[in-house]
Amino acid sequence: MSRYIQFAVIRFKSKTAYRFDYFLGILNTLLSFVVYYSIYKALYSGQSYIDGVSFSMVTTSFLISLGLGSAFHKNEMFLQDKIKQGTIANELLKPVNFKLRMLFEDAGEGAFNVVFNFLPTAVIAALFAHLSTPSGALDLILCIASVMLGYIVLWQISFIVQSLSFWLFSVWGLVTIKNVLINIFAGAYIPMWFMPERIRSILHFTPFDSIYFMPVQLYLGQLNEMQVALGFAKQLVWIAVLYVIGEVCWRCGIKRLVVQGG
Amino acid sequence: MRDILSLFFAYAKSGLKSRFQYKVDAIVVIFAVFLREAGGIIAMYLALQKFGTVNGWSIDELLFLFSLIFITYGIFIVFFMALRDFPDWIKHGDFDRVMVRPRGVLTQLVLCGADWLAAFGHGTLGLLLLLVSANRVGIEWDVKTVLYYVMCVAGGVLIQGAVFLTFSAITFYVLETGSLKEIFYWNMRKFAIYPLSIYNKFIQAILLIVVPFAFVNYFPAQFFLRKPDMAQYPGWLMYITPAVGVAMYLLAYAFWRFSLRFYKSTGN
Amino acid sequence: MSSENMIEVSGLCKTFKIQKRAQGFIGALKNVFYPEHELKKAVNDVSFSIKEGEMVGFIGPNGAGKSTTVKMLSGILCPDSGQITVAGYTPHKQRKEYVANIGVVFGQKSQLSWDLSPLDSYEVIKHIYRIPDKLYKENLERYTELLGLGGFISQPVRQLSLGQRMRADIAAALLHSPKIVFFDEPTIGIDVVGKDKIRSFIKTLNKTDNITMIFTTHDMQDIEQTCERLIIIDDGKKLYDGSLDNVRKGYVSTRIIEAEFERLPVLLNIPKTEVAEAGGDPHKRIVTFNTDEIATGEVMAALMDTHNIKDISIKEPGIDAVIRDIYLGKIVIG
Repeated sequence: MSRYIQFAVIRFKSKTAYRFDYFLGILNTLLSFVVYYSIYKALYSGQSYIDGVSFSMVTTSFLISLGLGSAFHKNEMFLQDKIKQGTIANELLKPVNFKLRMLFEDAGEGAFNVVFNFLPTAVIAALFAHLSTPSGALDLILCIASVMLGYIVLWQISFIVQSLSFWLFSVWGLVTIKNVLINIFAGAYIPMWFMPERIRSILHFTPFDSIYFMPVQLYLGQLNEMQVALGFAKQLVWIAVLYVIGEVCWRCGIKRLVVQGG
Repeated sequence: MRDILSLFFAYAKSGLKSRFQYKVDAIVVIFAVFLREAGGIIAMYLALQKFGTVNGWSIDELLFLFSLIFITYGIFIVFFMALRDFPDWIKHGDFDRVMVRPRGVLTQLVLCGADWLAAFGHGTLGLLLLLVSANRVGIEWDVKTVLYYVMCVAGGVLIQGAVFLTFSAITFYVLETGSLKEIFYWNMRKFAIYPLSIYNKFIQAILLIVVPFAFVNYFPAQFFLRKPDMAQYPGWLMYITPAVGVAMYLLAYAFWRFSLRFYKSTGN
Repeated sequence: MSSENMIEVSGLCKTFKIQKRAQGFIGALKNVFYPEHELKKAVNDVSFSIKEGEMVGFIGPNGAGKSTTVKMLSGILCPDSGQITVAGYTPHKQRKEYVANIGVVFGQKSQLSWDLSPLDSYEVIKHIYRIPDKLYKENLERYTELLGLGGFISQPVRQLSLGQRMRADIAAALLHSPKIVFFDEPTIGIDVVGKDKIRSFIKTLNKTDNITMIFTTHDMQDIEQTCERLIIIDDGKKLYDGSLDNVRKGYVSTRIIEAEFERLPVLLNIPKTEVAEAGGDPHKRIVTFNTDEIATGEVMAALMDTHNIKDISIKEPGIDAVIRDIYLGKIVIG
């Protein structure tokens, strides 16, 4: 395992080489926040609650979504590039689990994004926007745990789409479409509270609402024990299901590669 | 001019031929671009369902404002794609090739880079939004308004072209300009989706002076819609988009000419 | 300046700024907040001149400065100081007019579209260079035949072998009938047969069309088979400029004897020779000497007088070894 953690550490370090990009990266995330902040400030236009949701809850939810966006790093064209360049065979010869290595490298970059990009942004944002504080230590821990599970779900979906590059000329289009759907269903475009009720009830059956929205609710302390347990259970089931699908795609792809002589 | 056109068509022919080697993929890409951009519209639609209006703008008026972004970007991407991805051109050594060909460097970049698939995606979405919204917000088209609309679109394309020409020139000094693009283009574009008046003074100043996206869609849209929030700006701002485009482009061009000599090539 | 010189270069310098990477986690943080730079002189006071129709090989290890020199000659890079005149132009100042006269082949970077056939790419090149229809047709036919492109000229480039692609790339650089052609590592990564085809084509073209050519490579065979004149560059400096034969002559008097002896111990003490063990085999020795100092026969006699010899061979050092010694500063020619 320590070897895989090493992959994450190396990726983390290599990201520090671009200084110009680094400072601008913080500004960039901050601006994304300001866009949402301004829009919802105008929409609220002075009202303190809409549907029982306060303006500071909305801004907090946006900030958490942004943080998750930067933590959930996935190099979505990785597999396609390896297959296109024909270097996938060399990768498979290395005595490491290819998939785990990918996951840890991505996670390393995600960790870099959180530490160097999101945390500074959050501190600056807290200076001008009124944010909600976490409702308690336990809630915060649960929030982080649910973020990790959510990452594994998202990463596996990405891996499944990527593994289609064994068969397709390019997966860029599919990756893009997938991300649009996830963003809509996960409530990254609009806070889940304001989603029409009919759509929300459908989303409960997908893994998406617990990826972005559950951490927000945990942070704000809006869930009871039952809901928390149910949310975690749902994530675990989805992780298992997606793992099986991912393995099947991966193995079929490799078989196809071997048959065709890559 | 005929010479330039024939070069443009030669590039276009080879570019389209190359992209349509994989027909299914090309169609998926067009659809993906369309859907990705439509995501922003869906978000706007859902929010407006809940809140009704933003600063007095209805959903149809917002869609008209939005359509200008897509239409100008659809055209922009035909001419300025190479400048948008300029760091890659340098990194992969493609710019060296441009330098050893007997045509203006910028001429080649502007004529050859077109990303037709993305242009279809953005263009279709923009036209669709325009068709849906223009009627509902009650725009009356006559020779004068059509002419001004076309000039505003051209101005909007030039403004965005000038922004990327400036970034490309900066690439000669610092190589990596990804975040710069992200901040001063993509984020400003996110701002421009909603009316300028909802933002604080500082952001308004940026959208007016630094990266004048306000002239790409807000002021041209105000020319047609005359919403009450226009009262806080001088009226003549509604009429200068074409001039802003030309002026910015000329300035950016001068900076680009100056910076070209600092090109460092790759592999060093 | 003499009028017959096609290329004149004097005092050419180019310096690059390189970021230093500090190691470790603290180092990584340092890279973010206090990056340090060092200056590398990629080309350092290089001068030479090349006559019209001449073919000159530029050789040097990776990073020696040959590519940088070619990029300055072709107008891509602006020199820090020094003069360049090619065909009467100053490349970086009169770029547009100048480059109509040159062709450039980058071995590492094709100018053909990956998903299109060479023919499709040639059509675009025709427009870019404004090549008249008649000239385009003539050149296309001629190079298709000379480079043997007929079999694959209509296939997408992605389906071609590296050697085929390179030949198609060379044709692309010649369609506008340039007066000067720069070949930057045109044989890199290509198999032996493919390399031979490219070399013999280049040599023929130089002879028949009187095109001035510069050829950079780190493969000595390329130079041996194509060029008469050689410029050796290392660490940004010109180490040698002269005929290929001269380089050979500098080492022509050196001989290497490899001998395998029947019995141990092998004790050799021949004056004016250097003796080294060969490949860890105690029965074998390599004896190097200069025929100006000691005759081959004398060395042979000395060996055979003292030992029983199982096998023996005499060699001239290859040109590769000569160049290596020039890089290492072991020999100075000039």
